[in-house]
Amino acid sequence: MTLSFTLRVTFVVSVLVACLHIGQAWAGPHSTAQAGSQSGSGHAVSFSAEQVAHGAQIYAGACAMCHGADLEGGHDVPDLGTYFTARWANTPIDQLAGYISRAMPLMAPGTLPPQDTAALVAFLLHQNGVISATDAPLPMEEARLAKLRFPVPSASSVMGGKP
Amino acid sequence: MKRRDLFAASLAAGIMGSTRRVRAATPDASAALGRTALHGTIPRIVPVRAHADQIMDIKVCLRPFRPAGPRMDVEHVAGKTVVHNYGHGGSGWSLSWGAAYMAVGHAAATLERKVAVVGCGIIGLTSALTAQRAGLDVTIYTRDLLPHTRSVRANGSWTPDSRIALTQQAGPEFARTWEKMARYSWQTYRDYLGMPGNPIDFRDNYTLSDTAPDAADHVPVPADAAKGTFATTGMPQSSAEFAEYASRISDIIPAPELLAGADNPFPVAYARRTPLMIYNFGAYGHLLLEEFHQAGGRIVIREFHTPSDLADLPERVVINCPGYAARDWWNDKSLIPVRGQTSWLPPQPEAPYALEYKGAAMISKSDGVMIQGYDMYGLGEMDGVGNSFEHPDRAEAEKAIAIIGDLFTRFQLRDG
Ligand SMILES: Cc1cc2nc3c(=O)[nH]c(=O)nc-3n(C[C@H](O)[C@H](O)[C@H](O)COP(=O)(O)OP(=O)(O)OC[C@H]3O[C@@H](n4cnc5c(N)ncnc54)[C@H](O)[C@@H]3O)c2cc1C
Ligand code: HEC
Repeated sequence: MTLSFTLRVTFVVSVLVACLHIGQAWAGPHSTAQAGSQSGSGHAVSFSAEQVAHGAQIYAGACAMCHGADLEGGHDVPDLGTYFTARWANTPIDQLAGYISRAMPLMAPGTLPPQDTAALVAFLLHQNGVISATDAPLPMEEARLAKLRFPVPSASSVMGGKP
Repeated sequence: MKRRDLFAASLAAGIMGSTRRVRAATPDASAALGRTALHGTIPRIVPVRAHADQIMDIKVCLRPFRPAGPRMDVEHVAGKTVVHNYGHGGSGWSLSWGAAYMAVGHAAATLERKVAVVGCGIIGLTSALTAQRAGLDVTIYTRDLLPHTRSVRANGSWTPDSRIALTQQAGPEFARTWEKMARYSWQTYRDYLGMPGNPIDFRDNYTLSDTAPDAADHVPVPADAAKGTFATTGMPQSSAEFAEYASRISDIIPAPELLAGADNPFPVAYARRTPLMIYNFGAYGHLLLEEFHQAGGRIVIREFHTPSDLADLPERVVINCPGYAARDWWNDKSLIPVRGQTSWLPPQPEAPYALEYKGAAMISKSDGVMIQGYDMYGLGEMDGVGNSFEHPDRAEAEKAIAIIGDLFTRFQLRDG
């Protein structure tokens, strides 16, 4: 009786502590931090802050009108946040860069120079909580991108400490 | 904001949306507020039979209201990733698909293929369906199925910013999130229009008034300083504290029209007409459950008593949709009950419209004529706040029905 009561109280306290986060209930699409270096197979993913900033700029001008300011997508346009992460996790990054350069922006496909595509990929990774392994920029060459994989959300951040 | 926008916005907020203070105003002012309906477009109105001796059911419900807006963050408890989706106030039906889309996104990002959904109210059910549509394998764990949940004790119409948050506590970021949810939901509901049994439908909603509606009616009444605010007392104290976001989506929500002179069939001086989206609970609820089962969904009847009960579920991701019950089950004391009551008369398909008059609302639906006294005491958004007496009040039901009944006693059928 006493034991279970103590357990219960401890539990309630931890739940209360958890409830303190309620104020942040409306975080963006990126809820879980993922370390690029934890990417399951392949090499650690790195991108530079300049790429992220440049990508953000292109995104705002050429992508946000359809995919939303917060990458949320909509009823008729795919999101580039949580669902996007699930769709692309573990895929070689050259495929994502290739898709963007061939197919996006939808009204002018094939118009993005390689450095803009790389910047957009860096921006998308960053917005989805991927932490760059080093300051090195994301490469533009297909062959080098093919060795990198879209990072899987890290187990510890998703599964509450369970590996 | 332009006056017309203001007007359209607050009307779009729907039946329980906004406080309407009736004040003397010039007809010119009201004429400036909206487009006048084209002559001849008002159908012949069949009066509704609204009498207390026709009551077949009185439903009472507590809106799960959180000052900061619904809870939709991710927590790690009992070895599970718990994605919360509860606390949608008086807007749960309206926002359901948009809220589900956001919650399921968090679940999908875990890359788990199997998810558990706690709760089978409108939030749990739409979360479960949305998860299936994202390719996930879903089991609903719930104490009750939809017909016994608080969800079906609602009014059941498009009211996306009814008691959804307090402006101050929710902050500007939530206004943006609200807009995304509302737009996504509205578009998803269109998928269910025009189907057999009309699960989702529209009604012309007539907003009636004996005095001129004016933009001033829709300006929030300044808070009574002596009463304080939520920030100083821990409870909302005035209508002015409640968030109004409807103007953010006025580009996709049909606007009201004024009914001029001879075109106004009602025995009141002022009438406006707005197409209103409604939910026919019976047809819609069955359709959603059917879709869930057809897609291979499973339902397990189970009640959870403490969060640690989640530990023995086979799924590692849980979408938590318990509605007001989160106050106890998840110990979320930020949930404030907002009581509301609807009474139901037999269906009157010959009178397919809705109206609002003197704080009472009527919607003629396929599963009954719903009458709700949403603001009969001049309390505005404060009506029912903090009241958890979830038990029918027959006198209140009769008072609301009498408002509608009295209107039609004075109603004169037009010739032709
Ligand atoms: C009078 C009134 C009128 C309204 N009108 C409208 C309207 O016109 N439009 C609109 O959009 N909204 C309206 N609302 C608001 C809307 O009804 C709510 O926001 C919505 O029903 C909340 O749904 P929910 O699924 O979160 O909760 P609920 O419907 O309460 O469902 C909760 C589910 O969780 C289950 N559950 C709870 N605790 C446990 C547990 N411990 N273990 C297992 N299962 C559990 C329950 O069995 C149930 O299945 C109205 C509300 C009221 C009161
Ligand atoms: C005119 C609207 C529009 C614009 C602008 C646009 N997109 Fe898209 N995007 C879409 C649509 C629609 C799809 C789905 C395409 C399909 O299914 O054929 C899509 C798909 C994508 C996808 C694949 C999503 C997935 O998970 O498979 C990515 C990545 C993407 N867009 C990135 C971008 C980027 C980066 C830009 C800006 C350079 C951009 N888009 C601009 C409409 C747009």
